[in-house]
Amino acid sequence: MVKQLFPIKHVMGYLLSLILTFIALSVAYYDLSYATGMGILSITAIIQASVQLFLFMHVGESSDKHAVYINIIYAIFVALIIVFGTLFTMIWGHAGH
Amino acid sequence: MKVDTSLPLEYSTEENRLKIFGFWLFLGAEIALFSMLFGTYFTLLNGTGNGPTAQEIFELKPVIVETLVLLTSSFTCGLAVHSMRLNFKKPMMTFFIITMCLGLVFLGVEILEFVTYIGEGATMQTSGFLSSLFMLLGTHGAHVTFGLFWGLCILIQVVREGFTARTANKFFIYSLYWHFLDVVWIFIFSFVYLKGMI
Repeated sequence: MVKQLFPIKHVMGYLLSLILTFIALSVAYYDLSYATGMGILSITAIIQASVQLFLFMHVGESSDKHAVYINIIYAIFVALIIVFGTLFTMIWGHAGH
Repeated sequence: MKVDTSLPLEYSTEENRLKIFGFWLFLGAEIALFSMLFGTYFTLLNGTGNGPTAQEIFELKPVIVETLVLLTSSFTCGLAVHSMRLNFKKPMMTFFIITMCLGLVFLGVEILEFVTYIGEGATMQTSGFLSSLFMLLGTHGAHVTFGLFWGLCILIQVVREGFTARTANKFFIYSLYWHFLDVVWIFIFSFVYLKGMI
């Protein structure tokens, strides 16, 4: 019963997300350069999001999976354009002209 | 109604399948919404005026608690979907109730965090940095709050009707929403709090 209720994949995914959280936390405790810190945070955040997406949200089990994948990729593309486009125009030296 | 028994109950009719697909499209729009708020936050990060900076007000302890609570609730929500697929009603309801209790704890800690900030004189009106911070955190918190009411409605329907193509579909869609909120929180945790502490 316990084995059925707690499938090993879910438990491993949960443990992985806890480990990733603690790796991400290390940037607050160690004296790292900004680039190294951001690198660690970006990698852990992307893996964390993937764990949620592929393991818990069961993306790819529906017959619509190709459309769902395209939708997600497009949403990520839009998100990157919005965030980096905003930074590009407002922060990285282009706001003055 | 045509029911395909080879698929999980929540996918068993065409209408159900399309509802799940439609919810994925909605989540795509939610990604755009949150990236807009992140973009605003990164832009206004240094606009602190006479108010405190990120380094001065962020406290790691409540943020770690919020992160662990939300990660665990996402895990129990996944277990609830798994139990539902095995047609275990009681375990599913137990995991579901745990999920929502953890959501409530998350919200409580976040509200306390807001109260602490405001007590330190860091309100939404203080600076551009704080306006964008409260907007980002508040939008996420409002989603969690909505999720708790939504979850309660689904729980009542599962108690009343058990697992049908309708209720299973509703709960599966709810689980997508809940996991999505966890993903958003991971980005807030990494790129709002921890980024401010490098």
